[in-house]
Amino acid sequence: MKKGRGFDPTTLEIYRALYTSVAEEMGLTLRRTAHSPNIKERRDYSCAVFDAAGSVIAQGDHMPVHLGSMPMAVEAALGETNIGPGDVVVLNDPFAGGTHLPDVTLVSGVFLGKSDRKAGFYVANRAHHADIGGATPGSMGMASDVYGEGLRIPPVKLVVGGRVSGDVMRLLMANVRVERERRADFEAQVGSLKTGAARLLEIVARAGAREAAEYARHLIDYSARMMRATVRAIPDGVYEAVDALDSDGVTAGEVTLRVRVEVRGARARVDFEGSAPQVAGPVNAVEAITVSAVAYVFRCLVGAEEVPASAGLMEPIEVNAPSGTVVNAAHPAPVAGGNVETSQRIVDVLFKALSKALPARVPAASQGSMNNLTIGGTDPRTGREFAYYETVAGGMGARPSADGVSGVHTHMTNSLNTPAEALEYAYPLRVRAYSLRRGSGGRGLRRGGDGVVREIETLVPARMSLLADRRARAPYGLAGGADGAPGRDRVVRGGRASKLDAKGSRDLEPGDRVRIETPGGGGHGKE
Amino acid sequence: MGDERMKVRVGVDTGGTFTDFVYVAGGRARVFKVASTPDDPSRAIAGGLRRVAREAGVAPRDLEVVHGTTVGTNALLERKGARAALVTTRGFEDVLVIGRQARGSLYDLDWTRPAPLVADGLRFGVRERVAADGSVVEELEDEEVAALVRKLKRAGVESVAVCLLFSFAAPRHERKIERALKAGLGGVPLSVSHRILPEYREFERTSTVAINAYLQPLMGAYLGRLGAHVPARALRVMQSSGGSISARAAASEPVRTILSGPAGGVVGATRAAGEAGFADVITFDMGGTSTDVALCPAGRLRLTNEASVAGLPVAVPVLDIHTVGAGGGSIARVDAGGSLRVGPRSAGAVPGPACYGRSRLPTVTDANLVLGRFGGADLLGGDFKLDEGRAEEALASLARGMSEAGGREVSAVEAALGVVRVVNAGMERALRAVSVERGFDPRACTLVTFGGAGGLHAVELARALRVPRVVVPRQPGALSALGCLRADVVKSLSRTLMLEVGGGSEGRGDARAAASVGRAFREMEREARAALRREGFADARQRHTHTVAARYRGQSFELEVAWDGGRRIVERFHREHEARYGYAQTAGSVEVVSARLLSAGLVEELKEKRPRRTAAAVALAEPHRTAHVYFNEGAREAAVYRREDLRAGSRLRVPCVVTEYSSTTLVPAGARCATDAGGNLVIEL
Repeated sequence: MKKGRGFDPTTLEIYRALYTSVAEEMGLTLRRTAHSPNIKERRDYSCAVFDAAGSVIAQGDHMPVHLGSMPMAVEAALGETNIGPGDVVVLNDPFAGGTHLPDVTLVSGVFLGKSDRKAGFYVANRAHHADIGGATPGSMGMASDVYGEGLRIPPVKLVVGGRVSGDVMRLLMANVRVERERRADFEAQVGSLKTGAARLLEIVARAGAREAAEYARHLIDYSARMMRATVRAIPDGVYEAVDALDSDGVTAGEVTLRVRVEVRGARARVDFEGSAPQVAGPVNAVEAITVSAVAYVFRCLVGAEEVPASAGLMEPIEVNAPSGTVVNAAHPAPVAGGNVETSQRIVDVLFKALSKALPARVPAASQGSMNNLTIGGTDPRTGREFAYYETVAGGMGARPSADGVSGVHTHMTNSLNTPAEALEYAYPLRVRAYSLRRGSGGRGLRRGGDGVVREIETLVPARMSLLADRRARAPYGLAGGADGAPGRDRVVRGGRASKLDAKGSRDLEPGDRVRIETPGGGGHGKE
Repeated sequence: MGDERMKVRVGVDTGGTFTDFVYVAGGRARVFKVASTPDDPSRAIAGGLRRVAREAGVAPRDLEVVHGTTVGTNALLERKGARAALVTTRGFEDVLVIGRQARGSLYDLDWTRPAPLVADGLRFGVRERVAADGSVVEELEDEEVAALVRKLKRAGVESVAVCLLFSFAAPRHERKIERALKAGLGGVPLSVSHRILPEYREFERTSTVAINAYLQPLMGAYLGRLGAHVPARALRVMQSSGGSISARAAASEPVRTILSGPAGGVVGATRAAGEAGFADVITFDMGGTSTDVALCPAGRLRLTNEASVAGLPVAVPVLDIHTVGAGGGSIARVDAGGSLRVGPRSAGAVPGPACYGRSRLPTVTDANLVLGRFGGADLLGGDFKLDEGRAEEALASLARGMSEAGGREVSAVEAALGVVRVVNAGMERALRAVSVERGFDPRACTLVTFGGAGGLHAVELARALRVPRVVVPRQPGALSALGCLRADVVKSLSRTLMLEVGGGSEGRGDARAAASVGRAFREMEREARAALRREGFADARQRHTHTVAARYRGQSFELEVAWDGGRRIVERFHREHEARYGYAQTAGSVEVVSARLLSAGLVEELKEKRPRRTAAAVALAEPHRTAHVYFNEGAREAAVYRREDLRAGSRLRVPCVVTEYSSTTLVPAGARCATDAGGNLVIEL
């Protein structure tokens, strides 16, 4: 018998499900009440529950890219503000707890006693807002530093003692497009925090604060045990791989990512030494993103079991991302794409390294991009500005035992599409095609999934930006399987197609169609 | 309705093992079961109906049958439907495959999407386009339609679904295709989206019509076979929405029947509770592998348009039933991190729980047995023996795993209590999800339990949620058939409108918008009234419920709000939003997304007359015997009653176990337990 832990497996299971359901319920409230299609239709958000020390206990299964990065937001909020009853802290600063600017995080405390000054729990949610200011609608354009990308919000109180801070709100609203939508989304985020707090208070009322806190701690240990068992199952050794982004969008040339994974018993060290220095274009990832991507890969190796994404998950894993590189960028690097593109490449390079350790488990490369498309302008029906943002699915890499899935979001994102019929009600845009890109999946014993063809026409003058990758270097095949087809992008004007840069912005005339063909997944095994 | 002969109404529910029959004759409801015939369920039904006719002393043609069927569900789950084609707007042929482009499980590297119901090569795009406002951007040319007909002929399909973008805003193109296919394909069944579901969101609509096309030939053939035993006009089918439709309508829109069986159970439970005097009901149906819960406030059935079956969205109205993947057969284990997991894997009927004698898997049923909660009785009235020794071994082995993981000694009984606690926690979350999270207070509700395993867990769950009362209806095993018998005839019509009705700073278009909504309702109601009249319901026996799906302009999810002509719709929407989500955006403008009409032909009440509510029960019932039972608060000597021994209006000693043919009910100390005048078991907490 192992010593010293002393917990009841039944109670542990009940708290596991309970804390997870709190996070899920927060997500449900947010999704159902938000106004950005990005949050409500595409579900680009995450909600999490933290203990009194700010360690994450549970997180909803929402966006993997938020997996390891939410704790840093709470840490920053606790470090820079003093969260009292009824306070809500807002932040998006990539260099202080955030990831990229459109992802705005709200944090509040849950105070168990009427006169408590110290919170017993914290709850937080992060939602991708359709616009947060900056040079291009949607705040995902090509900027040369973070100042050009939009409004940077350090941890500040948006709500003080239950009352929205008018000054802070006015300052925020003066710097973003589509003010009404932003305001409603903030309200929805605050509502979601209230839901979480109410549920936690119920749990405490029923079981007592001591047991609730004790089992929060046990849950963190639980995740750590699950991860240790997973790492132990990987053969000891050193596994290395190199992959790259096509470009940073500003300067020519690939951006190299290098990883060295060292597995010893139940512990792993993931070292990104040798990756490219931070770049001029917006594909820099802050450290939170890199940790998230590593957490995602190892979480996948745990398997289908429902393990809470608690602080314990990363306990057996050490990450070294050297400062000043593309995987741990320093202020004031532009970071819009670190979240959405570089995170995918970090997953690719890490899986590539681990495929040498676990050849029967690890899939070939998936599309490796989120194909971020933003179109903005003025809607003549309302006279108001609009900013529409979406990501487009692609091919999943083939698995050692199965073909890859076609037309699906993979790895660091799982956001839904906006239905054409919803999109056209809301924006002066028309979807012209949404179909599978046949033959784009890599051949092999197991075939890679096919990418997608998405064609959107604008009905008004508009400005678009695209942030995508895997347009030159293809998603890799494994074990003799062929690579997937790289993506390609066009603007069709009057029947003539012209090439569109995978990272860049362009003005559109009414009738122009943006045609995105997303990458296919790599194949697995010789045919 | 000129027919003077006496008609006998029969509810028939097909289950995996038994087909249940309920009918009313001589003022009493009679119930019996016959063995199901899964290869062709109509054979069991034919036999049962002959028996009903004989017993009731009428000719078989004088039976009126309402049928709860699993033919559609099973075909969908087992993928045994038709070779169907799908016609879409060109460029959207793959919407059915891509769906909402998300994967079903975030971290599961082995996740795979189910194959589409309509195979590659059978999805055809046509050149045409309608805009959101209903204007035609690109005409559907005659040659295009002719070419489509040729292609479909060559493909040799058994059924065709048609779903064009924005067809709900302007159905002209879909109608054109429909006419051409009717003329050109010679009787191949059609599923056309603006007829089945004129609502926006193309994937959900396409999925719904594809399911319909996939099931049409099969359902048509099945109901045809049944028609040999019951005249078509006397045969009705239970819909997933809790109302019945004519066999003809079911054959042409089988997608409306895919949750036919569970819907019967919810209707039966709600009606039974209503007759016992309890209107606000949560139904709790716990079976071997899964558990269904549903909220029915004020005796009303709540519907949802966001259901999915076998992983496929179904956007026609379906009873808002929340399903949990846990039941009596769910297997308990200690995972690698030391947590006690129960389910989602189930031992099923084969090999079954350890106590069935064929496995050593510790299940919820084994835990209940170790705790003595079956009251020392076997199942199915003694026909099915339970092996207690095997159950104890299985739980002892689980207990060793728990001791090892947690570093504290755990006994087999403690492990069994743990298994029950974990499974109850999951049920409690489901019950919360349908009540608290939808703005309803469970403290005002009655929990109505049926299904084999429900009674063992219901009282504990009610306590946890502070539900004041549990009702176990009379004949809980035949509740679905009873529900079929008592379901109203229901037609649901809807239309996506997308109109701003008021609020916000503007609000001038309100009257005009309200007039448009009113017009849509009048048109739909005219259609529904005529249809119900054709089915024999005079206007006095019709009820039409008008609701609108509304939201704040900018949101994507709608709340259903009753429509009263539009005067206070905005105010009512704010209140509803506040109740559901904790706040209202009083400055936001409100948009009516869809108008939804629910038209019911009211089926006559059962002739069986009983007092509506019991007076204080007086007679103390004598238990059959006593048994040693472990409750949460410790081991107690409990009274054991046989349900069939209990007379109406008896009081039971607590704690007790009530055993009956297909279920067992556990009542801990501190509760009051009695049978009411209608024979229902009523447990007050």
